[in-house]
Amino acid sequence: MAHLGPGKAASSKEQTGLRYPSNGKTIYHRPLNRTKTAELSQSSFAYLFSEMVSYAQRRVTGIQELEKRLNLQGHPIGLKLLDLLLTREPPRSQTRPLTIIALLHFIKINLWTHLFGRQADRLEKSSNPDTPDEYMIIDNEPLVNAYISVPREMSQLNCAAFVAGIIEGVCDGAMFPARVTAHSVGGKEEGEMWPGKTVFLVKFQPEVLEREALIGKG
Amino acid sequence: MVVYSFYIFDRHTECIYSKSWLPPAHDPTGAPNSVTAARPSSSDDAKLIFGTVFSLRNMVRKLGGDDDAFVSYRTAQYKLHFYETASNLRLVMLTDTATLSMRNVLHQIYINLWVEYVVKNPLSPVEHKGGAGVRNELFELGLDQFIRGLM
Amino acid sequence: MRLPSFELYITTRTVFALIIINKAGGLIYNRTFHDGGLNKISTNDYLVLAGTFHGVHAITARLNPLQPRTTTNRASLSSTTTGAGAGDLVRPEPPSGLEVLETENFRMQCFTTLTGIKFLLFADTTQANVDLTMRRVYDLYTDYVMKNPFYQLEMPVRCDMFDRRLGSYIREINNR
Repeated sequence: MAHLGPGKAASSKEQTGLRYPSNGKTIYHRPLNRTKTAELSQSSFAYLFSEMVSYAQRRVTGIQELEKRLNLQGHPIGLKLLDLLLTREPPRSQTRPLTIIALLHFIKINLWTHLFGRQADRLEKSSNPDTPDEYMIIDNEPLVNAYISVPREMSQLNCAAFVAGIIEGVCDGAMFPARVTAHSVGGKEEGEMWPGKTVFLVKFQPEVLEREALIGKG
Repeated sequence: MVVYSFYIFDRHTECIYSKSWLPPAHDPTGAPNSVTAARPSSSDDAKLIFGTVFSLRNMVRKLGGDDDAFVSYRTAQYKLHFYETASNLRLVMLTDTATLSMRNVLHQIYINLWVEYVVKNPLSPVEHKGGAGVRNELFELGLDQFIRGLM
Repeated sequence: MRLPSFELYITTRTVFALIIINKAGGLIYNRTFHDGGLNKISTNDYLVLAGTFHGVHAITARLNPLQPRTTTNRASLSSTTTGAGAGDLVRPEPPSGLEVLETENFRMQCFTTLTGIKFLLFADTTQANVDLTMRRVYDLYTDYVMKNPFYQLEMPVRCDMFDRRLGSYIREINNR
C-alpha cells in the first residue's frame, strides 16, 4: 500500500483536468497506425479471421450456434466503434443517431468506411407490409468473406455474421435494440456477378418502432 | 555444356554400360575419366536411374498417350536426357542444367556407335549380360571422343 | 489450309492441367483445363500417379551427380581444397528434385513449396512463362485455400473460391 501513495498523489496532481492538446485532437481522433492510408494488411486480417471462425467452430452443434458465436464476437466491437466514430465527428454533428434512417446511414457510411474503406453498397427497407421492422444493408463483396469458401454441407452459413454482430452492437449502443443476421444471396437473382453478395437483415425490436412512430407524430 | 555421365540399359532392365566424365574434384574415386564401376554407389545409382526413367516413361505414356515419349527432366542441379530405341534399348545421359535437348546426341550414339561397334561386331553376343560385348575398345574410344567433342 | 493453322495457334498456348500433391504424396487437387491435351484418366489413376511421382521426385533429388554422397568424401574434399573451411559453415542448398519434365507432347513444371506441397502444372511444350503461371497459381492457393477457415491441412482441396479464381485465370491464359 505504501508504495501506492506517491503514485496516487502524482495522479491527483494531474487530475486538475484531462490534458487536451491545444488543437483539441486527442489520440482518439486518429488511428494509431499513422501511415498515409491507415490501412492494415488484408492477409493478416484474413488469417486472424480464419482463426476466429475456427475458434468459434469448436464445440458448436450447428450452424445457427456458430453464427451466434461469430455475432457475439462482433457485438462489443460495434458498441465501442459507435463511441469512437462519434468522437471523431466534428463537434456540430457529434450526436448519436436518433432515427432509424439516420442510424442506418451512419452504419452504411461512417461505420463501413471506417472498417472496410468504402460504403456499403445499398440500403433497403423491407417491402413486405408484414415486417415493417426489417431493414437491409447490402454488401456485394464482404471483406471478411474475401477468401472463404463455405463447404457445401454448411451452405446456410455466412461468416459475415461477425459483421452482423458489429452492426448489432452499434444499434444496441445507439439505443435501437435489434437482431442482425447475415444472409448470402449471391448467385441467385443477379447471377454470377457477385457470388459473395450478402444481405444484413436488421430487425428492430417493437419498442423502437413504437418510439419512431411517436417521434414522427411529434 | 558439361556431360556428367552416361548409361545404357538393355531390354531386361539391366545396366549394361555406364561411364562418368565428372571432374576429379567431384569424383569420389579421384580418378578422372574412369568407368564409374569403380565408384561404390554406381550400381545403386544405375538402379535408381533406371527406376526413375521407367516410372516417368510410364507416367508420360499414361498421360500423353502411347505415342508420347519422355524426353528429359531437369532439377536445379542437373538434367537427365532419355532416349528409347525401338528395340527397348534405353540410353540415359546426365548433363548440367544449361544443356539443351540431347535427344539427337543420344540418337547419334545409338546409330553411329552402338549399331556400328556393338551390333555389327561379330564377336559381341546378342544379350549383353553384365555388359559383355559393350565394353570394347572401338565403342569406348568412339564414345569418349564424341562426348569430349561436344564439351 | 487456313483452318489447321488456326487450330495450331489455339493449341500452342495452353495449360492442360493442375495437380497438387501434399507432403505425404497424397493427391489433394486435380483439375483439367483443356480437353485433348492429356489423356483422360480416372481419379484412381491420378492418385496412383501422384504417389508414384512423389517417390520419383525424392529419388531425382538424390541422384545429383555433383554431390559427394558420404561424409568421408566430404571430409577428404575439404582437406584437399583450400578455403573450404569457411564453406563448411554454410549449409549447402538442399538438392532440388525434378523441376521440369519434357516429353514430345507436353511439358510438366513441378514447384515444391517450403512446406513440401508439390504443384504440377501440365502445359503445351511451347507454353511460355510457366514460372509466372505457377507463381500465380501458388498465390491463389495461399489466398483461397490457406486463408479459408474450413480447409483442413493435407486434405483434399474443396474450395469454391479457389476453383472459380483458378478457372478464370487459366481461361485467360488459354484464350490469349
